[in-house]
Amino acid sequence: MNPPVLSIRNLSVSNRRTKQPSAVVQQISFNLNPGEVLAVVGESGCGKTKTAEAIMGLLPRDGWSVQADAIELDGSDLAKLPESGLRRVRGRKISMIFQEPLTALDPVFTAGNQLASIFRRHRGKTRSEAYQCSMEMLSKVGFADTRNVLKSYPHQLSGGMRQRVMIAMAMACRPRVLIADEPTTALDVTTQAQVLDQLTRLGQEYGTSILLITHDPGVVAQYCDRALVMLEGRIVEDANVRDLFARPQHDYTRRLLASVAGVGSG
Amino acid sequence: MTSPVLPLLSVRDLVVRYPARGHSGIPMTAVRGVSLEIAPAGIFGLVGESGSGKSSLAHAILHLSPPAGGEVLFRGQDLAAMKPSQLKAARRNIQLVFQDSLASLSPRRSVLQTLLEPLDHFRIGNPATRAEKAAMALETVGLDPALRHRYPQELSGGQKQRVALARALVAEPDLIIADEPLSSLDVSVQSRIIELILELREKLGVAFLFVSHDLSAVQRLADTVGVMYLGKMVESADTDTLFERPAHPYTRSLMAAVPVADPSHPRPAVLAGEPPSPLTPPSGCVFHMRCGDKIPICSTVVPNETFVCGETGMCEDSRRFKTISHRVRCHLWNVTKT
Ligand SMILES: Nc1ncnc2c1ncn2[C@@H]1O[C@H](COP(=O)(O)OP(=O)(O)OP(=O)(O)O)[C@@H](O)[C@H]1O
Ligand SMILES: Nc1ncnc2c1ncn2[C@@H]1O[C@H](COP(=O)(O)OP(=O)(O)OP(=O)(O)O)[C@@H](O)[C@H]1O
Ligand code: SF4
Ligand SMILES: [Mg+2]
Ligand SMILES: [Mg+2]
Repeated sequence: MNPPVLSIRNLSVSNRRTKQPSAVVQQISFNLNPGEVLAVVGESGCGKTKTAEAIMGLLPRDGWSVQADAIELDGSDLAKLPESGLRRVRGRKISMIFQEPLTALDPVFTAGNQLASIFRRHRGKTRSEAYQCSMEMLSKVGFADTRNVLKSYPHQLSGGMRQRVMIAMAMACRPRVLIADEPTTALDVTTQAQVLDQLTRLGQEYGTSILLITHDPGVVAQYCDRALVMLEGRIVEDANVRDLFARPQHDYTRRLLASVAGVGSG
Repeated sequence: MTSPVLPLLSVRDLVVRYPARGHSGIPMTAVRGVSLEIAPAGIFGLVGESGSGKSSLAHAILHLSPPAGGEVLFRGQDLAAMKPSQLKAARRNIQLVFQDSLASLSPRRSVLQTLLEPLDHFRIGNPATRAEKAAMALETVGLDPALRHRYPQELSGGQKQRVALARALVAEPDLIIADEPLSSLDVSVQSRIIELILELREKLGVAFLFVSHDLSAVQRLADTVGVMYLGKMVESADTDTLFERPAHPYTRSLMAAVPVADPSHPRPAVLAGEPPSPLTPPSGCVFHMRCGDKIPICSTVVPNETFVCGETGMCEDSRRFKTISHRVRCHLWNVTKT
């Protein structure tokens, strides 16, 4: 088997300011394999987003302490990179779709500005090529009037439209690893089906592996290969999706899956 | 239309329009004549396409962006014509939970301060009972009391979302307009909150306009459901009817696209065809560009809103008296689908 694209060894995250008795992420280890879509599920507040932000190197060092034996992306250890090196990796080799689109998009630039600049910066496109690519990317995430979306400022877009603009931005740089933190919470299920289809197709086309944080067991079952179940900062189960649904091992996983049985699956 | 009780909220032919973007000049009509009614203690579930105008409708009800047409009556009174003192009372009685919960919470207020703010502002109770009410609201949304001194930026996505919901609950309003209030929550927390909302409705008689993409949450919570597509309400009915006998092809596509929590089940199919543009809405039926059932007149003639089943008659389908009507905008409304 090919070596993992992303390999996390003993990652712990704790906050320096609030004196919490225990770290919000505690000694977690996992691998993300080439072309894989790996789900991360778990109760609200269990540490999913902090895990993602720690991998991306986005936690401010004065407020947070991040410890890990290794955060290896394609064999190089991100934990040992200085901030300048991390910045080069982010957006090019690893990118993230944030849980809160409004805080991740820049309010003073149009969606077109923000999307096209990624094509120019990371993919070396000219201004007019970047514009063309932006329109294509937007139609992949379900927009009809792409010209109008490009002209829009984030506040002029609906919640789900912002989320799709952010997904388009993350896909634009064709990263090796994409971390998607609840990427479809503001989408209706028909749009969600289209967007997740495109996202998983990305993996096949550009060789992007995806870490997909979600609370929807339906999304795990339909779009993911493997799943990590987190509980209070730890990974309590790491299984391929078929096994997870057929033979959940941990008590918490069983409860999680039992609570969806019969709902919405009629 | 006569209802047995005066509706708490009644929205008639509401239109919301936004100015043109950039230099080319077509304004965009986000809500194109939507009507709905919510009875006291009623729960109206609003679902629909991303960008179909649900949040615009929610905001226009509160006049956060003034409607370009139509009217909004709260207990029979036009909000636009209210005196300042009445408006203040109405503001207390209608609470909004914004879709972007983080953006709506002040970074300078702790969780507890956030919850006390509306109580102080509207002078509800005395300082002791206020603290008690705040604690109860936290419990309702399942937030650990230890988090009450945290600031929003120190909370997870789902924790912030629950603070926003608790802030709306704490003022004990008559109506809560909740725009995707549960979207970041895991299934078990969601279930608990749904149970508690139903309990609050029984106990306090609070009504909800519940905007959500989660069809199973809507099914459990709502009495009535409306489905929006491109600025129009294409179907509405009581919850059982809507889920058992959806009459509009878009409603059926939505139901078919819910991903099933079973890996051996096939993925939901992606809707064929181009989504329509709200700037240049299609002629005829709003859904004809993607509808698998369309017939020639669909692309030229706008389907009228039809009562599949009127409110004061025997419902042909279920052979029962219905209190709420099933309405649909589709030329094929009476063609039975299996
Ligand atoms: N600045 C902070 N200071 C202290 N604790 C924090 C801070 N930010 C987050 N936390 C805590 O860290 C824990 C993990 O947060 P994280 O955002 O990773 O949760 P999550 O699993 O993504 O949850 P959700 O599904 O609700 O988004 C939470 O319990 C949260 O309260
Ligand atoms: N402040 C605004 N200025 C200009 N246009 C806006 C504004 N708010 C929304 N729109 C536009 O109005 C339309 C409807 O948006 P709205 O936010 O009401 O949709 P929605 O149904 O809530 O979608 P979602 O499910 O994605 O949140 C969209 O085309 C959007 O671009
Ligand atoms: S009116 Fe025609 S196009 Fe529109 S939903 Fe009905 S069948 Fe489909
Ligand atoms: Mg999170
Ligand atoms: Mg919205």
